[in-house]
Amino acid sequence: MLSQRLLGRSAVRSAFKSSTLPSIATPAARWSRRTFATEAEEKDLVIIGGGVAGYVAAIKAGQEGMKVTCIEKRGTLGGTCLNVGCIPSKSLLNNSHLYHQVLHDTKHRGIEVGDVKLNLAQLMKAKDTSVAGLTKGVEFLFKKNGVEYIKGTGTFQDEHTIKVALNDGGETAVRGKNILIATGSEVSPFPGLEIDEKRVVSSTGAIALEKVPEKMLVIGGGIIGLEMASVWSRLGSQVTVVEFLDQIGGPGMDTEIAKATQKILKKQGMIFKTGTKVVSGDKSGEKVKLEVDSAKGGKPETLEADVVLVAIGRRPYTGNLGLENIGLELDERGRVIIDSEYRTKIPHIRCVGDVTFGPMLAHKAEEEAVAVVEYIKKGYGHVNYGCIPSVMYTFPEVAWVGQSEQDLKKAGVKYRIGTFPFSANSRAKTNLDTDGMVKMLADPETDRLLGIHIIGPNAGEMIAEGTLALEYGASAEDIARTCHAHPTLAEAFKEAAMATYSKAIHF
Amino acid sequence: MFATKVLRQAAQHAERTPSIKFIGKRSIPSSVDHTPQPHPASPTHSLPSSFTSAASEQSSHHSFSTYRDHAQQFGPLRKTIKSGSAGIGGQSGFELGPVAPPTGIFFDRNELPARFRRAPISLAEIEAVETGGAAAFS
Repeated sequence: MLSQRLLGRSAVRSAFKSSTLPSIATPAARWSRRTFATEAEEKDLVIIGGGVAGYVAAIKAGQEGMKVTCIEKRGTLGGTCLNVGCIPSKSLLNNSHLYHQVLHDTKHRGIEVGDVKLNLAQLMKAKDTSVAGLTKGVEFLFKKNGVEYIKGTGTFQDEHTIKVALNDGGETAVRGKNILIATGSEVSPFPGLEIDEKRVVSSTGAIALEKVPEKMLVIGGGIIGLEMASVWSRLGSQVTVVEFLDQIGGPGMDTEIAKATQKILKKQGMIFKTGTKVVSGDKSGEKVKLEVDSAKGGKPETLEADVVLVAIGRRPYTGNLGLENIGLELDERGRVIIDSEYRTKIPHIRCVGDVTFGPMLAHKAEEEAVAVVEYIKKGYGHVNYGCIPSVMYTFPEVAWVGQSEQDLKKAGVKYRIGTFPFSANSRAKTNLDTDGMVKMLADPETDRLLGIHIIGPNAGEMIAEGTLALEYGASAEDIARTCHAHPTLAEAFKEAAMATYSKAIHF
Repeated sequence: MFATKVLRQAAQHAERTPSIKFIGKRSIPSSVDHTPQPHPASPTHSLPSSFTSAASEQSSHHSFSTYRDHAQQFGPLRKTIKSGSAGIGGQSGFELGPVAPPTGIFFDRNELPARFRRAPISLAEIEAVETGGAAAFS
């Protein structure tokens, strides 16, 4: 009320001044500054970025009764994950899998289908509908929890003030007692091969291709690369994946599981070139050419494709943030340096999500977002970095949590292994989806779980049970003695636990 | 003999305590150390010196309000955890209840903080009282 009155009064004053004394510039300018200072109501929390980290923190802060503002420049909430990442790719993965199954996997199930056609435009529309529904849902949650949402680009003016260049034109400023940087990440470019999102694409372009490319090359056999490779391979592309390391799935995936995955995906028609580096790229011709060589050198080769996907990773995004105005430094990989309570060196400015330490995963960002608000409001929060699941949504899915066998070997930790194949699981057998296995690693003395690795149908859902067990510090026997419904895929999980501490029944 | 052994094993088995145990009612920490510590996912497991020097750099606070935002005393001054065993300022005076002792309980003056106790009397003062002030002029 008071601020409104002040605002009105100063607005009248400045209007009066500017109309009657237009030539006296100095007092008018001073007054306009004063007006500016009084109109900005100080918020408890100002969040820069409306991605998974930012929007979750905003909702949580609203629930905690804080006055909160969220600044997002994309125009829609949800960040990379909802708009051009996890969500649209899952829509394409699910529908392309259905298409592939109807095309190739119905006859022996007793289903005769007629002429099956792909409608790529409709496939993309279905994806857009899912994305629009979810981003609007977040906007609704903002309203429900009293979060102020500003569409624009936020820049630090000083330690407490964020200047916002509004998307609709104009400028405003918000002041915050606490400020949260949640600006996320962007695609790492491949040196010498410019991404045009048409022929040389990032994950953003790969979810919006206008036609199915005849040949596709994927640089990087990590999670993003393999998911996109799966989509276009199922839709009819001949896909070749080039990976620098000797195994696919990135460094976090258990080697045994990575090998099994590669075998299954190869059976599905994907071509793999592991231990291979991309030397250079050329997109001047009709086809995009890549010069590749073995990682050690000595085996040069030229690969050609209609579309090249660059999926070599992501890097923190701090563009236009004005960190230089407040003297915040980044580490050598461009990440904002924080302490264990997500504080930067300026304690009321905190940072979570992809733009700082830890794996670049949406669910990790969500955990941090809740924790950081709790740190601000209550003084304590919780994220267990040793217990963050990873999932690759190929078919079959690959999921893991905790330590891999190679991690344990490297650290010199003794372990016991228990595995159970889905080919011995009744539900997998009835579904005719028997590829994959569950692998558990436990301490040989205490039986405490150290890591869980799954490749198989629904692995992404099943890993939740493993994550819970790991978070609680459970033993393999705890899982083995917990009753699992029959017939379910989850029984394979239980049997793997039995195999770890004793023996599996059905294998 | 063998049967007893089996029975014993079975009994032991029935009493197996799972590793996952309910640890009881949630308890809120009464005091949390807020001094900057390296982030658990930090690759270097260390903090740059600017993190510790910023806290001691008084000149960076241009007003008392900003100083208070940064100030730490047994944790951040403005964010005292509200709980039974909270730090100073965690509970309002009203919540602490009346200061008067319950009936039948009396405070000894010597139990009070030093400033409420009797001030020590000097020898000169004692003499002055005893002589009606005459000692002061002798």
